[in-house]
Amino acid sequence: MKSKVSALMDGELDEHEASVPLAALERDREAFEAWRTYHLISDALQDAGALSQGFTQRFAARLAQEPTVLAPGRQAVRRERATWLALSAAASLAAVSLVAWLAFAPPPGSAPAAIAVAPEEPVAERDVARVPPPQTANDYLLAHQGYSPRLSLQGVAPYVRTVSDPQVERKAR
Amino acid sequence: MRPLVGALLLACAATVQAETTPEALGWLSKISQATEKLSYTGTFVYQQGESTETSRITRLVDASGDVEKLEALDGTPREIVRTSDAVRCYLPETRTVKVDRRSGRRSFPAMLPEQLDKVAQNYSVALGAIKRIAGYECQEVVLTPKDDQRYGYKLWADTKTGMLLKARTFDDKGRMVEQFTFTMLTIGNVPRESLKSRYAAQDWRIEDTSVVPANLAESGWSVRGGLPPGFLKVDEVGRRLGDAKPLGQIVYSDGLAAVSVFIEPSEGRTEPVRTGLSSMGAIHIYTREVANHVVTVVGEAPAASVRRIANAVEYRPRQ
Repeated sequence: MKSKVSALMDGELDEHEASVPLAALERDREAFEAWRTYHLISDALQDAGALSQGFTQRFAARLAQEPTVLAPGRQAVRRERATWLALSAAASLAAVSLVAWLAFAPPPGSAPAAIAVAPEEPVAERDVARVPPPQTANDYLLAHQGYSPRLSLQGVAPYVRTVSDPQVERKAR
Repeated sequence: MRPLVGALLLACAATVQAETTPEALGWLSKISQATEKLSYTGTFVYQQGESTETSRITRLVDASGDVEKLEALDGTPREIVRTSDAVRCYLPETRTVKVDRRSGRRSFPAMLPEQLDKVAQNYSVALGAIKRIAGYECQEVVLTPKDDQRYGYKLWADTKTGMLLKARTFDDKGRMVEQFTFTMLTIGNVPRESLKSRYAAQDWRIEDTSVVPANLAESGWSVRGGLPPGFLKVDEVGRRLGDAKPLGQIVYSDGLAAVSVFIEPSEGRTEPVRTGLSSMGAIHIYTREVANHVVTVVGEAPAASVRRIANAVEYRPRQ
Protein backbone atom coordinates (compact mmCIF):
# COMPACT_ATOMS: atom_id res chain seq x y z
CA MET A 1 0.00 0.00 0.00
CA LYS A 2 2.92 2.35 0.77
CA SER A 3 4.10 2.24 -2.82
CA LYS A 4 0.56 3.05 -3.98
CA VAL A 5 0.43 6.01 -1.59
CA SER A 6 3.76 7.17 -2.95
CA ALA A 7 2.51 6.82 -6.54
CA LEU A 8 -0.63 8.77 -5.60
CA MET A 9 1.48 11.58 -4.18
CA ASP A 10 3.56 11.72 -7.32
CA GLY A 11 0.41 12.01 -9.42
CA GLU A 12 1.19 8.78 -11.25
CA LEU A 13 -2.23 7.19 -10.82
CA ASP A 14 -5.29 7.83 -12.92
CA GLU A 15 -8.68 8.43 -11.36
CA HIS A 16 -9.57 4.76 -11.23
CA GLU A 17 -6.23 3.58 -9.83
CA ALA A 18 -6.19 6.37 -7.28
CA SER A 19 -9.47 5.23 -5.69
CA VAL A 20 -7.73 2.31 -3.91
CA PRO A 21 -5.07 4.28 -1.97
CA LEU A 22 -7.54 7.13 -1.38
CA ALA A 23 -9.95 4.72 0.30
CA ALA A 24 -7.07 3.21 2.28
CA LEU A 25 -6.09 6.64 3.62
CA GLU A 26 -9.46 6.82 5.34
CA ARG A 27 -9.31 3.42 7.01
CA ASP A 28 -5.73 2.25 7.15
CA ARG A 29 -3.69 3.91 9.90
CA GLU A 30 -0.40 2.74 8.36
CA ALA A 31 -1.26 4.15 4.93
CA PHE A 32 -2.22 7.45 6.52
CA GLU A 33 1.06 7.57 8.46
CA ALA A 34 2.95 6.86 5.22
CA TRP A 35 1.06 9.70 3.52
CA ARG A 36 2.04 12.09 6.32
CA THR A 37 5.64 10.93 6.43
CA TYR A 38 6.07 11.22 2.66
CA HIS A 39 4.67 14.74 2.74
CA LEU A 40 7.01 15.66 5.58
CA ILE A 41 9.97 14.32 3.58
CA SER A 42 8.79 16.13 0.48
CA ASP A 43 8.30 19.39 2.42
CA ALA A 44 11.70 19.04 4.04
CA LEU A 45 13.33 18.48 0.64
CA GLN A 46 11.58 21.49 -0.81
CA ASP A 47 12.40 23.54 2.26
CA ALA A 48 8.77 24.34 3.06
CA GLY A 49 8.03 25.55 6.59
CA ALA A 50 6.57 22.94 8.93
CA LEU A 51 2.93 23.28 9.99
CA SER A 52 2.22 24.11 13.62
CA GLN A 53 1.37 21.37 16.10
CA GLY A 54 -2.20 20.10 15.74
CA PHE A 55 -2.79 21.87 12.40
CA THR A 56 -4.62 18.91 10.87
CA GLN A 57 -7.07 18.62 13.77
CA ARG A 58 -7.77 22.37 13.82
CA PHE A 59 -8.20 22.42 10.03
CA ALA A 60 -10.62 19.48 10.16
CA ALA A 61 -12.65 21.19 12.88
CA ARG A 62 -12.86 24.45 10.90
CA LEU A 63 -13.78 22.57 7.72
CA ALA A 64 -16.59 20.74 9.53
CA GLN A 65 -18.11 24.11 10.43
CA GLU A 66 -18.12 25.33 6.79
CA PRO A 67 -21.58 25.26 5.15
CA THR A 68 -22.05 22.52 2.57
CA VAL A 69 -22.51 23.76 -0.97
CA LEU A 70 -24.81 21.59 -3.03
CA ALA A 71 -24.05 21.48 -6.75
CA PRO A 72 -25.03 18.01 -7.86
CA GLY A 73 -23.73 16.32 -10.98
CA ARG A 74 -21.34 18.97 -12.19
CA GLN A 75 -18.07 17.90 -10.69
CA ALA A 76 -16.80 15.51 -13.35
CA VAL A 77 -17.49 17.91 -16.19
CA ARG A 78 -15.81 20.77 -14.41
CA ARG A 79 -12.72 18.72 -13.68
CA GLU A 80 -12.22 17.74 -17.31
CA ARG A 81 -12.65 21.30 -18.44
CA ALA A 82 -10.16 22.55 -15.88
CA THR A 83 -7.50 20.07 -17.02
CA TRP A 84 -8.04 21.00 -20.61
CA LEU A 85 -7.75 24.70 -19.91
CA ALA A 86 -4.60 24.10 -17.89
CA LEU A 87 -3.05 22.19 -20.77
CA SER A 88 -3.89 24.93 -23.21
CA ALA A 89 -2.42 27.50 -20.90
CA ALA A 90 0.72 25.46 -20.49
CA ALA A 91 1.24 25.41 -24.21
CA SER A 92 0.79 29.18 -24.20
CA LEU A 93 -1.39 29.23 -27.28
CA ALA A 94 -1.25 32.71 -28.63
CA ALA A 95 -4.08 34.77 -30.05
CA VAL A 96 -6.55 32.07 -30.89
CA SER A 97 -9.68 33.35 -32.52
CA LEU A 98 -12.43 32.18 -34.75
CA VAL A 99 -11.54 31.88 -38.41
CA ALA A 100 -13.26 30.14 -41.24
CA TRP A 101 -11.81 27.02 -42.82
CA LEU A 102 -10.30 28.30 -46.01
CA ALA A 103 -8.07 25.62 -47.41
CA PHE A 104 -10.31 24.49 -50.21
CA ALA A 105 -12.20 27.56 -51.30
CA PRO A 106 -10.25 30.58 -50.16
CA PRO A 107 -12.28 33.74 -50.70
CA PRO A 108 -9.47 36.28 -51.11
CA GLY A 109 -9.44 39.18 -48.71
CA SER A 110 -12.45 38.04 -46.68
CA ALA A 111 -10.51 36.41 -43.86
CA PRO A 112 -10.93 37.88 -40.40
CA ALA A 113 -7.86 39.64 -39.06
CA ALA A 114 -6.55 36.93 -36.81
CA ILE A 115 -2.94 35.95 -36.45
CA ALA A 116 -1.74 32.86 -34.65
CA VAL A 117 1.95 32.74 -34.02
CA ALA A 118 4.00 29.78 -32.87
CA PRO A 119 4.65 29.64 -29.12
CA GLU A 120 8.12 30.46 -27.91
CA GLU A 121 10.75 27.73 -27.85
CA PRO A 122 12.19 25.92 -26.09
CA VAL A 123 10.34 23.85 -23.54
CA ALA A 124 12.39 21.05 -22.03
CA GLU A 125 11.39 17.74 -23.61
CA ARG A 126 10.41 16.18 -20.28
CA ASP A 127 7.94 19.02 -19.66
CA VAL A 128 5.96 18.18 -22.79
CA ALA A 129 2.47 16.94 -21.95
CA ARG A 130 1.89 13.26 -22.76
CA VAL A 131 -1.59 12.68 -24.12
CA PRO A 132 -3.42 9.59 -25.41
CA PRO A 133 -3.30 9.24 -29.21
CA PRO A 134 -6.17 11.10 -30.93
CA GLN A 135 -9.21 8.92 -31.64
CA THR A 136 -8.52 9.39 -35.32
CA ALA A 137 -4.84 8.37 -34.99
CA ASN A 138 -5.26 5.43 -37.35
CA ASP A 139 -6.76 7.65 -40.04
CA TYR A 140 -3.81 10.02 -39.77
CA LEU A 141 -1.36 7.12 -39.86
CA LEU A 142 -2.99 5.58 -42.91
CA ALA A 143 -2.95 8.95 -44.68
CA HIS A 144 0.65 9.59 -43.63
CA GLN A 145 2.47 6.31 -44.16
CA GLY A 146 1.89 6.23 -47.91
CA TYR A 147 4.40 9.08 -48.12
CA SER A 148 7.15 7.41 -46.14
CA PRO A 149 10.25 6.79 -48.28
CA ARG A 150 10.76 3.72 -46.09
CA LEU A 151 8.11 1.95 -48.17
CA SER A 152 10.57 1.81 -51.03
CA LEU A 153 12.97 -0.14 -48.80
CA GLN A 154 10.50 -2.16 -46.79
CA GLY A 155 7.26 -2.49 -48.71
CA VAL A 156 4.03 -2.45 -46.75
CA ALA A 157 5.59 -3.66 -43.43
CA PRO A 158 5.66 -0.21 -41.72
CA TYR A 159 1.86 -0.16 -42.03
CA VAL A 160 1.80 -2.58 -39.11
CA ARG A 161 1.97 0.59 -37.04
CA THR A 162 -1.19 1.94 -38.64
CA VAL A 163 -3.38 -0.36 -36.64
CA SER A 164 -1.04 -1.43 -33.85
CA ASP A 165 -3.33 -0.08 -31.18
CA PRO A 166 -6.84 -1.56 -31.52
CA GLN A 167 -7.86 0.45 -28.44
CA VAL A 168 -7.63 3.63 -30.45
CA GLU A 169 -9.76 2.19 -33.19
CA ARG A 170 -12.39 0.99 -30.74
CA LYS A 171 -12.61 4.40 -29.08
CA ALA A 172 -13.09 6.07 -32.43
CA ARG A 173 -16.33 4.21 -33.09
CA MET B 1 53.73 21.25 -33.73
CA ARG B 2 53.24 17.75 -34.98
CA PRO B 3 51.81 16.26 -31.75
CA LEU B 4 49.23 19.08 -31.70
CA VAL B 5 48.06 18.30 -35.25
CA GLY B 6 47.89 14.65 -34.31
CA ALA B 7 45.78 15.40 -31.28
CA LEU B 8 43.45 17.59 -33.35
CA LEU B 9 43.02 14.86 -35.97
CA LEU B 10 42.27 12.39 -33.24
CA ALA B 11 39.66 14.71 -31.73
CA CYS B 12 38.02 15.13 -35.14
CA ALA B 13 37.98 11.40 -35.78
CA ALA B 14 36.11 10.86 -32.54
CA THR B 15 33.26 13.20 -33.49
CA VAL B 16 32.92 12.64 -37.24
CA GLN B 17 30.86 9.61 -38.25
CA ALA B 18 31.84 7.14 -40.90
CA GLU B 19 31.87 8.80 -44.32
CA THR B 20 29.18 7.92 -46.84
CA THR B 21 30.54 5.53 -49.45
CA PRO B 22 29.10 5.05 -52.96
CA GLU B 23 29.07 1.33 -52.22
CA ALA B 24 26.79 1.83 -49.21
CA LEU B 25 24.45 4.12 -51.21
CA GLY B 26 24.43 1.43 -53.90
CA TRP B 27 23.06 -0.96 -51.29
CA LEU B 28 20.09 1.35 -50.68
CA SER B 29 19.31 1.17 -54.42
CA LYS B 30 19.71 -2.58 -54.34
CA ILE B 31 17.26 -2.90 -51.41
CA SER B 32 14.77 -0.61 -53.12
CA GLN B 33 14.95 -2.59 -56.37
CA ALA B 34 14.46 -5.85 -54.48
CA THR B 35 11.37 -4.38 -52.77
CA GLU B 36 9.99 -3.40 -56.15
CA LYS B 37 10.73 -6.62 -58.05
CA LEU B 38 10.62 -9.59 -55.66
CA SER B 39 7.66 -11.81 -54.81
CA TYR B 40 7.89 -13.29 -51.33
CA THR B 41 6.05 -14.54 -48.32
CA GLY B 42 7.27 -14.41 -44.75
CA THR B 43 6.68 -13.74 -41.09
CA PHE B 44 8.16 -10.76 -39.31
CA VAL B 45 8.22 -9.45 -35.78
CA TYR B 46 7.67 -5.78 -35.08
CA GLN B 47 9.21 -4.72 -31.79
CA GLN B 48 8.67 -1.45 -30.01
CA GLY B 49 9.57 -0.84 -26.36
CA GLU B 50 8.33 -3.84 -24.38
CA SER B 51 5.85 -5.02 -26.98
CA THR B 52 6.33 -7.36 -29.92
CA GLU B 53 3.86 -8.19 -32.63
CA THR B 54 4.04 -10.89 -35.29
CA SER B 55 2.67 -10.38 -38.81
CA ARG B 56 2.63 -12.26 -42.06
CA ILE B 57 3.54 -10.45 -45.24
CA THR B 58 2.94 -11.66 -48.81
CA ARG B 59 3.91 -9.87 -51.97
CA LEU B 60 3.37 -10.79 -55.59
CA VAL B 61 4.84 -9.00 -58.59
CA ASP B 62 3.70 -10.13 -62.02
CA ALA B 63 2.40 -8.77 -65.32
CA SER B 64 -1.04 -8.03 -63.88
CA GLY B 65 0.40 -5.65 -61.29
CA ASP B 66 1.87 -5.97 -57.84
CA VAL B 67 -0.13 -6.73 -54.71
CA GLU B 68 1.05 -6.88 -51.14
CA LYS B 69 -0.76 -8.10 -48.05
CA LEU B 70 0.02 -7.68 -44.38
CA GLU B 71 -1.86 -9.72 -41.76
CA ALA B 72 -1.51 -9.20 -38.03
CA LEU B 73 -1.14 -12.58 -36.33
CA ASP B 74 -1.17 -11.26 -32.77
CA GLY B 75 -4.00 -9.44 -31.02
CA THR B 76 -6.95 -7.98 -32.89
CA PRO B 77 -7.16 -9.51 -36.37
CA ARG B 78 -6.63 -6.99 -39.15
CA GLU B 79 -5.29 -6.88 -42.67
CA ILE B 80 -3.74 -4.37 -45.00
CA VAL B 81 -3.81 -4.96 -48.74
CA ARG B 82 -1.86 -2.65 -51.01
CA THR B 83 -2.47 -2.61 -54.74
CA SER B 84 -1.01 -0.20 -57.29
CA ASP B 85 -3.83 2.32 -56.77
CA ALA B 86 -4.81 2.00 -53.10
CA VAL B 87 -4.06 0.76 -49.61
CA ARG B 88 -7.02 -0.97 -47.95
CA CYS B 89 -7.08 -1.54 -44.23
CA TYR B 90 -9.57 -4.24 -43.13
CA LEU B 91 -10.71 -3.98 -39.51
CA PRO B 92 -13.05 -6.94 -38.82
CA GLU B 93 -13.78 -5.93 -35.24
CA THR B 94 -15.49 -2.74 -36.32
CA ARG B 95 -16.43 -4.11 -39.78
CA THR B 96 -14.69 -1.23 -41.46
CA VAL B 97 -12.48 -0.88 -44.53
CA LYS B 98 -10.33 2.23 -44.61
CA VAL B 99 -9.11 3.11 -48.08
CA ASP B 100 -6.21 5.40 -48.95
CA ARG B 101 -6.15 6.02 -52.68
CA ARG B 102 -2.85 6.74 -54.31
CA SER B 103 -3.94 9.05 -57.07
CA GLY B 104 -1.30 10.21 -59.50
CA ARG B 105 1.74 9.12 -57.53
CA ARG B 106 3.70 5.94 -57.46
CA SER B 107 2.62 3.49 -54.83
CA PHE B 108 6.22 3.02 -53.78
CA PRO B 109 8.46 6.03 -54.12
CA ALA B 110 11.56 4.37 -55.56
CA MET B 111 15.01 5.33 -54.32
CA LEU B 112 15.93 7.41 -57.34
CA PRO B 113 19.37 9.06 -57.56
CA GLU B 114 17.98 12.43 -56.38
CA GLN B 115 16.42 10.70 -53.41
CA LEU B 116 19.76 9.08 -52.57
CA ASP B 117 21.38 12.54 -52.71
CA LYS B 118 18.85 13.77 -50.19
CA VAL B 119 19.55 10.80 -47.92
CA ALA B 120 23.31 11.39 -48.19
CA GLN B 121 22.83 15.05 -47.22
CA ASN B 122 21.14 14.13 -43.95
CA TYR B 123 22.72 10.80 -43.05
CA SER B 124 26.13 9.14 -43.26
CA VAL B 125 25.59 5.85 -45.04
CA ALA B 126 28.18 3.15 -44.40
CA LEU B 127 28.45 -0.60 -44.65
CA GLY B 128 28.65 -2.74 -41.53
CA ALA B 129 29.28 -6.41 -40.92
CA ILE B 130 27.82 -9.48 -42.61
CA LYS B 131 25.32 -11.31 -40.41
CA ARG B 132 22.96 -14.25 -40.85
CA ILE B 133 19.24 -13.52 -40.35
CA ALA B 134 16.43 -16.06 -40.84
CA GLY B 135 18.80 -18.24 -42.85
CA TYR B 136 19.97 -15.46 -45.19
CA GLU B 137 23.44 -13.99 -45.26
CA CYS B 138 22.87 -10.25 -44.82
CA GLN B 139 24.86 -7.07 -45.37
CA GLU B 140 24.43 -4.44 -42.67
CA VAL B 141 23.92 -0.84 -43.85
CA VAL B 142 24.14 1.87 -41.19
CA LEU B 143 22.49 5.27 -41.68
CA THR B 144 23.80 7.64 -39.02
CA PRO B 145 21.94 10.96 -38.82
CA LYS B 146 24.07 14.11 -39.17
CA ASP B 147 22.12 15.86 -36.38
CA ASP B 148 19.66 14.99 -33.60
CA GLN B 149 16.61 16.01 -35.64
CA ARG B 150 16.11 12.54 -37.11
CA TYR B 151 16.51 8.91 -36.17
CA GLY B 152 19.27 6.58 -37.33
CA TYR B 153 18.71 3.27 -39.07
CA LYS B 154 20.43 -0.07 -39.35
CA LEU B 155 19.34 -2.22 -42.26
CA TRP B 156 20.26 -5.82 -42.97
CA ALA B 157 19.70 -7.05 -46.54
CA ASP B 158 20.23 -10.40 -48.25
CA THR B 159 23.62 -10.27 -50.00
CA LYS B 160 22.23 -12.13 -53.04
CA THR B 161 18.86 -10.48 -53.73
CA GLY B 162 18.98 -7.26 -51.68
CA MET B 163 15.78 -8.23 -49.83
CA LEU B 164 15.54 -6.39 -46.49
CA LEU B 165 15.47 -8.90 -43.63
CA LYS B 166 15.79 -6.59 -40.67
CA ALA B 167 15.48 -2.86 -39.99
CA ARG B 168 16.20 -1.12 -36.72
CA THR B 169 15.52 2.51 -35.83
CA PHE B 170 17.76 4.05 -33.17
CA ASP B 171 17.80 7.40 -31.35
CA ASP B 172 20.62 9.89 -30.73
CA LYS B 173 21.80 7.86 -27.73
CA GLY B 174 22.00 4.74 -29.88
CA ARG B 175 18.99 3.14 -28.15
CA MET B 176 16.62 1.02 -30.21
CA VAL B 177 13.31 2.76 -30.92
CA GLU B 178 11.70 0.03 -32.99
CA GLN B 179 12.67 -2.98 -35.07
CA PHE B 180 11.30 -5.15 -37.87
CA THR B 181 12.83 -8.65 -38.21
CA PHE B 182 11.87 -11.45 -40.54
CA THR B 183 11.86 -14.78 -38.72
CA MET B 184 10.86 -16.72 -41.84
CA LEU B 185 11.09 -15.71 -45.49
CA THR B 186 10.56 -17.51 -48.78
CA ILE B 187 11.39 -15.65 -51.98
CA GLY B 188 9.33 -16.56 -55.08
CA ASN B 189 6.48 -19.08 -55.60
CA VAL B 190 3.61 -16.90 -54.40
CA PRO B 191 0.13 -18.04 -55.59
CA ARG B 192 -2.20 -15.16 -56.48
CA GLU B 193 -5.03 -16.50 -54.27
CA SER B 194 -2.90 -15.93 -51.18
CA LEU B 195 -3.05 -12.17 -51.82
CA LYS B 196 -6.80 -11.86 -51.49
CA SER B 197 -8.19 -10.48 -48.28
CA ARG B 198 -9.75 -13.17 -46.11
CA TYR B 199 -12.69 -10.85 -45.55
CA ALA B 200 -15.52 -10.51 -48.06
CA ALA B 201 -16.33 -7.21 -46.32
CA GLN B 202 -19.54 -6.92 -48.33
CA ASP B 203 -21.71 -5.01 -45.89
CA TRP B 204 -18.80 -3.37 -44.10
CA ARG B 205 -18.55 0.34 -43.66
CA ILE B 206 -16.13 1.86 -46.17
CA GLU B 207 -14.16 4.95 -45.25
CA ASP B 208 -12.68 6.22 -48.45
CA THR B 209 -10.33 9.17 -48.43
CA SER B 210 -10.67 11.34 -51.46
CA VAL B 211 -7.51 13.30 -52.10
CA VAL B 212 -7.43 16.60 -53.96
CA PRO B 213 -4.49 18.96 -54.52
CA ALA B 214 -4.50 21.85 -52.08
CA ASN B 215 -2.62 25.03 -51.36
CA LEU B 216 -2.71 25.78 -47.68
CA ALA B 217 -0.32 28.71 -47.99
CA GLU B 218 -2.96 30.46 -50.08
CA SER B 219 -5.34 30.16 -47.16
CA GLY B 220 -2.82 31.70 -44.78
CA TRP B 221 -1.19 28.60 -43.33
CA SER B 222 2.56 28.26 -43.12
CA VAL B 223 5.22 26.21 -41.38
CA ARG B 224 7.95 28.79 -41.13
CA GLY B 225 11.33 28.67 -39.53
CA GLY B 226 10.62 25.61 -37.43
CA LEU B 227 11.36 22.90 -39.94
CA PRO B 228 14.32 20.75 -38.93
CA PRO B 229 17.16 21.10 -41.47
CA GLY B 230 16.87 18.86 -44.51
CA PHE B 231 13.09 18.43 -44.37
CA LEU B 232 11.55 19.59 -47.64
CA LYS B 233 7.93 19.69 -48.72
CA VAL B 234 6.99 16.71 -50.88
CA ASP B 235 3.22 17.07 -51.18
CA GLU B 236 0.24 19.12 -50.12
CA VAL B 237 -3.30 17.74 -50.37
CA GLY B 238 -6.82 18.13 -49.10
CA ARG B 239 -8.61 15.01 -47.96
CA ARG B 240 -11.46 13.65 -45.92
CA LEU B 241 -10.77 11.10 -43.18
CA GLY B 242 -13.65 8.90 -42.10
CA ASP B 243 -16.71 11.03 -41.45
CA ALA B 244 -14.63 14.02 -40.50
CA LYS B 245 -14.68 17.37 -42.19
CA PRO B 246 -12.13 18.01 -44.94
CA LEU B 247 -8.63 18.59 -43.74
CA GLY B 248 -5.36 19.72 -45.22
CA GLN B 249 -2.18 17.66 -45.21
CA ILE B 250 1.34 18.89 -45.92
CA VAL B 251 4.11 16.29 -46.08
CA TYR B 252 7.81 16.95 -45.48
CA SER B 253 10.66 14.49 -45.90
CA ASP B 254 14.43 14.34 -45.46
CA GLY B 255 14.77 11.52 -47.96
CA LEU B 256 14.12 8.73 -45.47
CA ALA B 257 11.80 10.01 -42.74
CA ALA B 258 8.48 11.72 -43.46
CA VAL B 259 6.37 14.06 -41.34
CA SER B 260 2.76 15.04 -42.11
CA VAL B 261 1.06 18.19 -40.86
CA PHE B 262 -2.73 17.85 -40.69
CA ILE B 263 -4.84 20.99 -40.30
CA GLU B 264 -8.58 20.77 -39.68
CA PRO B 265 -11.25 23.07 -38.21
CA SER B 266 -11.90 22.65 -34.47
CA GLU B 267 -15.56 23.43 -34.98
CA GLY B 268 -17.92 20.48 -34.73
CA ARG B 269 -15.40 18.08 -33.23
CA THR B 270 -16.68 15.69 -30.58
CA GLU B 271 -13.23 14.92 -29.20
CA PRO B 272 -11.67 17.60 -26.98
CA VAL B 273 -8.33 18.92 -28.24
CA ARG B 274 -5.55 17.63 -26.01
CA THR B 275 -2.39 19.59 -26.54
CA GLY B 276 0.57 17.28 -26.24
CA LEU B 277 2.51 14.32 -27.49
CA SER B 278 1.70 10.66 -28.01
CA SER B 279 4.06 8.01 -29.34
CA MET B 280 3.93 4.60 -31.02
CA GLY B 281 7.40 3.28 -31.68
CA ALA B 282 9.24 5.68 -33.97
CA ILE B 283 6.02 7.52 -34.78
CA HIS B 284 5.16 10.58 -32.74
CA ILE B 285 1.96 12.59 -32.87
CA TYR B 286 1.84 16.14 -31.56
CA THR B 287 -1.47 18.00 -31.32
CA ARG B 288 -2.09 21.68 -30.71
CA GLU B 289 -4.72 24.23 -31.56
CA VAL B 290 -3.96 27.17 -33.82
CA ALA B 291 -6.50 29.84 -34.79
CA ASN B 292 -9.48 27.61 -34.05
CA HIS B 293 -8.00 24.75 -36.03
CA VAL B 294 -6.51 21.53 -34.78
CA VAL B 295 -2.95 20.95 -35.96
CA THR B 296 -1.83 17.32 -35.75
CA VAL B 297 1.73 16.49 -36.74
CA VAL B 298 2.44 12.82 -37.40
CA GLY B 299 5.94 11.68 -38.18
CA GLU B 300 8.64 9.09 -38.02
CA ALA B 301 11.07 11.45 -36.34
CA PRO B 302 12.18 12.18 -32.77
CA ALA B 303 9.50 13.71 -30.54
CA ALA B 304 11.37 17.03 -30.38
CA SER B 305 11.38 17.35 -34.20
CA VAL B 306 7.69 16.52 -34.48
CA ARG B 307 6.82 19.05 -31.78
CA ARG B 308 9.11 21.64 -33.36
CA ILE B 309 7.25 21.31 -36.65
CA ALA B 310 3.87 21.50 -34.88
CA ASN B 311 4.95 24.66 -33.08
CA ALA B 312 6.09 26.22 -36.34
CA VAL B 313 2.60 26.07 -37.86
CA GLU B 314 1.24 29.59 -38.19
CA TYR B 315 -1.91 31.15 -39.49
CA ARG B 316 -1.77 34.64 -40.96
CA PRO B 317 -4.71 35.71 -43.11
CA ARG B 318 -3.64 37.04 -46.48
CA GLN B 319 -4.03 40.76 -46.88
